[in-house]
Amino acid sequence: MVSVITSFSRITILSYILIFTIIDLALIFEPKLNDVVAGILTTIQSVMVVLFLCNGAAVLYFSKGDSNIILYTAFQLVFFIALAIVLNKLFIPASPALTNNILLLLSFGFITIERLNLDKSVKQLIYAIVSLFITTIVILIIREISDISRFLFVFAIIGALSLIAITLAGNIEYGARLSFNILGIRIQPSELVKLSFIFFLAGCIVKYRDFKGYLFSTIGALVHVLILVHSKDLGTALIFMATFVFLTFIAYKNYILLALEIGLGLIGGIVAYNTFPHIRTRFIAWSDPLSVVDDKGYQISQSLFAIGTGSWFGSGLNKGMPTKIPVVTNDFIFAAISEEMGAIVAICLILIYMCTSICFFNVAFKCHNSFYMLVVSGIAVDFSLQTILNIGGVIKFIPSTGVTLPFISYGGSSLLSMFLAFFIAQCSDGLWRPMKGSRKYHEE
Amino acid sequence: MKNSNNKNSIRKEIYVTAVLFGILFMAMIVYLARFLIVDSKTFIYNSYNSRFSVFADDITRGDIYTADNVTIATTSKDEEGNEVRVYPDDRLFSHAVGYVGHGMAGLEASYSFDLLTSHIYLKDQINNSLTGQKSMGDSLYTTFDYDTQKAAYEGLGMFDGAVIAIEPKTGKIVAMVSKPDYNPNTIDKYWDDINDEEKSDSALLNRATNGAYPPGSTFKIVTTLAYLRDGNSASDFSYKCSGKINLDDYTIHCSGHKSHGQEDLLKAFSNSCNSAYAYMGTNIDRDSFISTSEDLLFNKPLPTLLKGTKASKLTIDNSTKESIVAQTAIGQGRTTVSPLHMCMLVSAIANGGELMEPYLVDRIISADDKIVSQTEPVSYGTIMSAEEVSLLQEYMEAVVMDGTADSVDFGDLNVYGKTGTAEYTENKKITHSWFVGFASDDKGNKLAVAVIMEGAGYGSKYAAPLAAKVFNAYYK
Repeated sequence: MVSVITSFSRITILSYILIFTIIDLALIFEPKLNDVVAGILTTIQSVMVVLFLCNGAAVLYFSKGDSNIILYTAFQLVFFIALAIVLNKLFIPASPALTNNILLLLSFGFITIERLNLDKSVKQLIYAIVSLFITTIVILIIREISDISRFLFVFAIIGALSLIAITLAGNIEYGARLSFNILGIRIQPSELVKLSFIFFLAGCIVKYRDFKGYLFSTIGALVHVLILVHSKDLGTALIFMATFVFLTFIAYKNYILLALEIGLGLIGGIVAYNTFPHIRTRFIAWSDPLSVVDDKGYQISQSLFAIGTGSWFGSGLNKGMPTKIPVVTNDFIFAAISEEMGAIVAICLILIYMCTSICFFNVAFKCHNSFYMLVVSGIAVDFSLQTILNIGGVIKFIPSTGVTLPFISYGGSSLLSMFLAFFIAQCSDGLWRPMKGSRKYHEE
Repeated sequence: MKNSNNKNSIRKEIYVTAVLFGILFMAMIVYLARFLIVDSKTFIYNSYNSRFSVFADDITRGDIYTADNVTIATTSKDEEGNEVRVYPDDRLFSHAVGYVGHGMAGLEASYSFDLLTSHIYLKDQINNSLTGQKSMGDSLYTTFDYDTQKAAYEGLGMFDGAVIAIEPKTGKIVAMVSKPDYNPNTIDKYWDDINDEEKSDSALLNRATNGAYPPGSTFKIVTTLAYLRDGNSASDFSYKCSGKINLDDYTIHCSGHKSHGQEDLLKAFSNSCNSAYAYMGTNIDRDSFISTSEDLLFNKPLPTLLKGTKASKLTIDNSTKESIVAQTAIGQGRTTVSPLHMCMLVSAIANGGELMEPYLVDRIISADDKIVSQTEPVSYGTIMSAEEVSLLQEYMEAVVMDGTADSVDFGDLNVYGKTGTAEYTENKKITHSWFVGFASDDKGNKLAVAVIMEGAGYGSKYAAPLAAKVFNAYYK
């Protein structure tokens, strides 16, 4: 009986995700849709999210036989409703499609973590609730601060100091210093510094303009990146670098500069390859994982076994062996999804991420205020790159860099950072508060 | 309004950035799809992939058959209703088919994924899953010929060694035997005994594909080609054999200390004259020797659909002592080959110089008799020229007609071969017995064979008669 439900659900889950993805693509690439049609499609998407979450939970409930799962699912649905209400209360969201995408990504996270580890799934739900709470407060505060861009150096200093603090006193994990333990909770400051860094860059650019702004942002970026390189968190260093490169490109429109910066980045990569043994290790594990399968290539090999064995349609939820992959709930959660839900769902998931990324860029494009346009652009770059680094590492497209998968990976810091990014983007048009008597950076 | 204009002018670069990331997303999708279509099998088949056990919950492992439809592996149920893997012929196909139990080996390992995949109608699969029944996995039809395999197996008798037979036209492996062997039916029970380190006879090793033997005089095929490819012509060669040759401080003797007198290349080959070949070997340019041997598949993975075969090794360079080069030329020295490799070389000679990549599985059939996949013969390319082939065929025929194997009765078949007697310890009395060659019936059907019998003695006395039995069984 359980086997029947699982097999049948493979098809239904695939259908929900396919429908969701097709609507996503239609909404993004068919701008002529009238509002009524778009509204209907968005509603269908929301229904698909709920069906997906409930169907996944049902399979897990029957195969694991743990009635707590029903309870968790109820809480998750209430949480989704709360999220939507809070978002609408704060400001009319810039993009309804974006909200649907984020909810679906969260559902993927909930279902997959529930499948892998029930204890962690409870924690993840708590992290999500706390993140929503903190995010709401932060948005309310930001809304009250007039001309937030003048605090740019405060952002830079707080960011750099937090990064220095981890370098000095962080826990070493997988050869890099990433986190603190505060009151038993593992906190990864670099996730939040990503946002303060974006605020700093955007501030620099709108405050100083032209060369001075570029100079300051370059210095700030270098400081951040060098500290990260020192603590060997190279995946995050890469994200910071790329955020800087693309934000200055968007602001200064200089293609030659973009090419130069990418070239310099590549040289930096080669230097890093020759300097850090653990980068070389990751390269070997990437280029031929099976040759070092019982050692450095173990994780990526297990990931590829999972994806390959799961094949196009997947083994069915709870029928694969994703727990064979080390740290599967964090960095390699995409492999678990692909193994059990199938590669078609996994490919849809990449498309959904792509659409989400485009949504973020669209929000930036439509933003009425220069500062927040840059902030949201930075968020879009950060979100896209982090996704590509994570999924690319899991499928052996690129060497693994140890960054988390936005909204899906287990972990509070990354979830909080993504919630903040998402809310800032959705409310971006309502956040700017000009200095009294000044219209300098105000909208038209 | 100034700022608004500023914003508009920034717009385009946002889209350029978005498109750049969009391209990366699409590239990942293409990569993932490519991985699943092209590369995923390498990973799925890897023995570190422990996910097979999950498949077995829903699928009954499929059967394995010979080309002539004899069941050589099947799944049945014991008294308690548990599935057990049964090999009706016990040891006959032990290395060829392999086992499931303590890990997997042979075809059971390399085709595990296919055996545990069902291609019966989806409707039936759903029906089975609804009623809680297992679906039947796909079956393998191998290239083995039952009688040929049996002749090889029984012919090897109590000797350790290996026999492999390949159809030169296609690369189909018709027989593959390795001894010492094991009984795949009881491998679980006797696992510790089979792996007893004190016995150290490595019964699990498939010597046909993974043995590393000194080739002995069968290597003279390679030396002959190296000599020709070094810019010599066959008619140039002339040597007066006195039964031995001195090089550095080392003396190489002809077999049985026999002195062969004046010889041309054909005589030297068919007499398997060590002195002549040692002399020839030391006169071949070493780079050319190495490059010819590498063209003949030494020092690289063998081109075959079989998994995990052992590469043959040949190590000489410009600093190698002359006596070692001379020993290499007669198949001693540090050279090692697998029987599969020797059989492939002979198979190319039989097939006009074109090497077909050897394979074991002809087709995969679903439980309701649909063809799931059919192996098409794959050509590796031409590794010998037409002139070389006709010369070697003439020489190998001479070996059988009035050379080292003239005493062997091959019946009515046209047989072309080369014997070998390979020393492998300090004691030169104990030798491996080799025969490599091919036969052709009057319709032109060919079969290439490599036989090695460990410690048996002269190739002409043991290995060649066994090859005759294999040929007779095949052409019966």
